[in-house]
Amino acid sequence: MSAAPLSRRALLKAAGLAGAAFMAPLSGCGATPSTQNGVTTLRFMQNKPEVVDYFNQVIKDFEALNPDIRVVQDFNEGNFVPGLVRNDPPDVVTRGFAQATADFVRKGIFADLSDMPVAATIDPKMQDLVSSWGQYNGNEISALPFSLAAAGVIYNRDIFEAQGVSVPTTWDEFVAACEKFKAAGIAPIYGTFKDPWTLAQGMFDYVSGGALDVAKFFTKLNAKGADITADAPESFASNFGPALPKMLQLASFAQNGAASKNYADGNAAFAKGQAAMYLQGPWALSQLVAANKDIRLGSFPLPVTNNPDETKARVNVDMALSITRNTPNMAAAQRFVNYLLAPSVVNTYNEKNAAFSPLKDAPAVSNPQISGLGAAVDEARYFQGATTYFPPSVPLNNYIQSFVYSKNGEQFLSALDDEWRRVAERTAV
Amino acid sequence: MTASTLPEPIARAAASTGIKYGFRRPGSSPAGKTRRSNREGFKINWWLTALMVVASLTVLLPLYFTVAMALKSPDQIGTGTGLEWPNPMNWENFVAAYVATNFPRAFMSTAFVTVFSVLGSLACSSLVAYAIARNWNRKFFRGSFVYLLSAMFIPFPVIILPLIKQTALLGLDNPAGVVFLHVLGGISFNTLLYIAFVRSIPVELEESARMDGATTWQVFRKIIFPLLAPMNATVGIFAFLGSWNDFLLPQMMIADPALQTLPVVQMLFQGEFNTNYSLAFASYLMAMAPTLVVYILAQRWVLSGVMRGAVK
Repeated sequence: MSAAPLSRRALLKAAGLAGAAFMAPLSGCGATPSTQNGVTTLRFMQNKPEVVDYFNQVIKDFEALNPDIRVVQDFNEGNFVPGLVRNDPPDVVTRGFAQATADFVRKGIFADLSDMPVAATIDPKMQDLVSSWGQYNGNEISALPFSLAAAGVIYNRDIFEAQGVSVPTTWDEFVAACEKFKAAGIAPIYGTFKDPWTLAQGMFDYVSGGALDVAKFFTKLNAKGADITADAPESFASNFGPALPKMLQLASFAQNGAASKNYADGNAAFAKGQAAMYLQGPWALSQLVAANKDIRLGSFPLPVTNNPDETKARVNVDMALSITRNTPNMAAAQRFVNYLLAPSVVNTYNEKNAAFSPLKDAPAVSNPQISGLGAAVDEARYFQGATTYFPPSVPLNNYIQSFVYSKNGEQFLSALDDEWRRVAERTAV
Repeated sequence: MTASTLPEPIARAAASTGIKYGFRRPGSSPAGKTRRSNREGFKINWWLTALMVVASLTVLLPLYFTVAMALKSPDQIGTGTGLEWPNPMNWENFVAAYVATNFPRAFMSTAFVTVFSVLGSLACSSLVAYAIARNWNRKFFRGSFVYLLSAMFIPFPVIILPLIKQTALLGLDNPAGVVFLHVLGGISFNTLLYIAFVRSIPVELEESARMDGATTWQVFRKIIFPLLAPMNATVGIFAFLGSWNDFLLPQMMIADPALQTLPVVQMLFQGEFNTNYSLAFASYLMAMAPTLVVYILAQRWVLSGVMRGAVK
């Protein structure tokens, strides 16, 4: 019996030593110097899994020109925050630019790119879309736009031509076109109300963006902070009211049974020509063409007023390039970003993906699917959707969905005011 | 220690101890079947049969969809009810998915995580359970049991960021770290299962081994561990499914995209607004294959294991 405790202690001791020996060599490789044999390894995290192949080709070309740099592509965006926690984030990052990315910017996660020569080649109006979310230290450029997605009304050219309808440029023309389709037994708009985000980005964003200056509205609203009340001039109730009837009118032009259709149903049905118009962005185009390769599509910005010069497109900076501030490979990362923003790379990407290039001297868009939005983008008649300004803790999409069903605008807007105040109270410093 | 050696220890253990482990020998049922079908006036319970058909449809229908989807081309997906069998079949989906995910590499990474998670869970949890169960009269061991159990009340997402920080400091931001956390995370539940089982093993067995001069390690290795076989199967199955299908932990923990596991790599087919259904399902099917094979091989233990895990 006396031997047993001794041996147990020895066993534990051995286990402890073995464990320590196991850990010791591993703990050395936390923040690794990523240069080996003169070749710097860059980690490039991009946010769109569907374009991995394109970037693989870009990286291949880049490495051929820059043999001293190796680039590893990562599309697992969920690893970005863990990377920051590990203090080992990717060197070059692309992200969709909105609320969440703006948070990182405000915390100084990304390096200042204003000194880079390529920054001067970017269209300043598109750069403003990025800056409008706030800048670190008030003047830094933390992200350079790479791809701008413009959304409007996708329409079926064949149906438009068969009915003799031309692209509407005013709200009255738009309503008249819808009535004409309805009279001909064609659903004017394919609604997918089961997926509330489609209502939010389509109907809600298009109408609010066309009817009021969304950016200015949210600037004022944010300035007001937690003091907001429904009767204040900055509130939702005071500003969104006139836009609501038009949203409901849009919803009423949807096909019967829209409440039970989701985004995938919508893509399948619209590709088969079951409606004339579809309130979706360019991301739906590839799905529509995949389902019916003969479909002839076009897009136009939804006219919300009767002044064609006020017609605006909904845009979002779909990809913006950043370099993380603490990267040990700053020089190599800058060379890679430079390469990505070369006209041959960035323009080709946007051409292939039905998006708009951020470069000042980018050629006009020739893709017939989105060329109808070209004028609005060129003239900077665009807005970032109202939904993108909301903090994720507000279940906005669900409110919009229930508004479409209940048609109770007052309740909807006062709910938004309440939610906004609650969040402002919580986050007030 | 490996899964393939399980049946013999069970049989041996059952024979030597006289304890019934609830396995129906394959040979014992046919007699019953023939008796039933031969007997006149045997009544079929149609209600139960219908219920069973519906229940099995809940498994077979999704499986059918998976196979059919994997063989469809993009324009076949949008048409019809989805129930149609694709014609022509697009076998090249599998090739495309195989290339896009770099399947062999992701598969090896997942297999590494799974194999070592299963082995680690079996080894660590059974040792812990044995130590606690046989020292139940000491406060320290009873306390440590409660301590382990209390870990089950902490939701994993709450501790994930601190864990990432820790594992990064220890250089474990790789599949080895995922294995480590799988084993660690499973200890409380697995120990709970094991302890109940160890208690049912008579202490006299061990005492007789001690009389013959066995050390504690030998008693565990030669007597207890083989007797734990049914519970090993249960724990092994839980550990296998848990680590093979795990998404969150590898996604957040593995820093090097080249070492990423299958469930994470398969995200490739899901964009924010676009899902490449046919490739996605082709790759899901390839990823599911090992689970299906293991299930078919280990069906007996899975079923008995579910029952065994029910009583703690």
